[in-house]
Amino acid sequence: MKKLIEVDHVSNERVSNVHFSLMEGSLTTIIGPSGAGKSSLLLLLNRLEDPDKGEIHFKGKKISDFPISELRRNIGMVFQQAHLFDGTVEENLKFGPSLRKKWEQNDGVKLLEKVQLSEEFLTKEVENLSGGEQQRVAFARTLANNPEVLLLDEVTSALDMRTVELMEELLHKLVKEEGKTILMITHDLKQAKRLGSYTLFMNEGKVEEQGETASLFQHPKTAALKHFFEG
Amino acid sequence: MTNISNLSLLTMILFVMIPVSLSYLFSLGIGKSAIWSSIRGVVQLFLIGYVLTFLFSMPDWQGVGLWVAVMLVIASLQAAKRGKGIPYAFLLSLSSLILIEVFVLSLWILFNIIPFQSEQVIPMSGMIIGNSMVATGLAFERMKNEFHDSKGKILAALSLGANASQASQMIIRKTIRAAMIPNVDSLKTIGLVQLPGMMTGLILGGASPIEAIRYQIVISISIFSSVSICAMIISLVTYRFFFNRKMQLLE
Repeated sequence: MKKLIEVDHVSNERVSNVHFSLMEGSLTTIIGPSGAGKSSLLLLLNRLEDPDKGEIHFKGKKISDFPISELRRNIGMVFQQAHLFDGTVEENLKFGPSLRKKWEQNDGVKLLEKVQLSEEFLTKEVENLSGGEQQRVAFARTLANNPEVLLLDEVTSALDMRTVELMEELLHKLVKEEGKTILMITHDLKQAKRLGSYTLFMNEGKVEEQGETASLFQHPKTAALKHFFEG
Repeated sequence: MTNISNLSLLTMILFVMIPVSLSYLFSLGIGKSAIWSSIRGVVQLFLIGYVLTFLFSMPDWQGVGLWVAVMLVIASLQAAKRGKGIPYAFLLSLSSLILIEVFVLSLWILFNIIPFQSEQVIPMSGMIIGNSMVATGLAFERMKNEFHDSKGKILAALSLGANASQASQMIIRKTIRAAMIPNVDSLKTIGLVQLPGMMTGLILGGASPIEAIRYQIVISISIFSSVSICAMIISLVTYRFFFNRKMQLLE
């Protein structure tokens, strides 16, 4: 596996000296207490914010050297809340591709299939969807741009068990079959164990500890992580 | 037209006393403010009466030029108050109000709708500028509120590759729509629910109802158009101030 993203000693108001890499086709989880800077870190990777210090590289090139819209399409993000736009599910799904006039009639059905929603959802108004359905549509909306990297901010936190299972299944498929690289924030430690091959533990804006998920969970080194596991 | 005598005018005190008494009765705490506003309103109107008399005695282009300029500055200052926090709010208000006034006045004169006389241009321009001022202020406020309330959606749009203009489309649409809806509604019910102020004034002044409605049509449609243009200008210009050059949403 080769390095796809490298976060090189990055700092801003909310994160401090963060350093890690994301390997191509891997699923990395971020765990840590609220206010640890996890969401802020994702915003930096999508360039919704910029660091004050340090650099982020994507495919060996500084992310600031990419045209910003192209970068954001390639490093897609799904937020904790769905933030769907007013209108139908289809209008939401085609938002990204339509900006480049790359939307085809059949694309909506294919995207809904991925998130296990039926074709009938295309014409539904988003306000009539349940929370879980909205989150799946938001996920499909990001997938519509066919990003190489997916940044997921606690996307399963408000979902029921069945939908969580569906989403986890989808994440596995995206990594194994489509070679996507995923960086996912989760509050659910069991989920982090189930999904991640690599895990970052963030605390007070810093990545306090990182490593292979199994080893990190079995042998936490820092007192902060031990304390976090103890709840 | 019947003249209202000073004595008759004094009886209006009774009308003021009704809301003032209600305020004391229900402890609304607006008694003083109601009295003060009424006195201020009366003094302002008398002063304006004298000012207008003076303006109407001047050559038309001087009277119109002077008073329209005063109205534009006062309206812009007032509208800009609602745009607090938005850069150049005053200049933006002033430019859009000037644009609207020039546009509307040119059409009125060009198509011989009204003659270029102070008596006609000043009150009608006042209505255009006044309504546009309200629309400008509301557009500022709406933009600020929408950018605050829809922050998540805008971030989502940006994260999907939208530029600032594309990410703001939903807010721009909402702002223009919000400015237009009250006017659409009021046009629908005009004359049925209430006789509009201008028409009422003309009828009281002795004009025939048919003549009065012609003026009302001109002013109502002109206001509708001005308000829509104002909301469009403000939203299309101000959305940029909510982003930086890197297409990032500012706090």
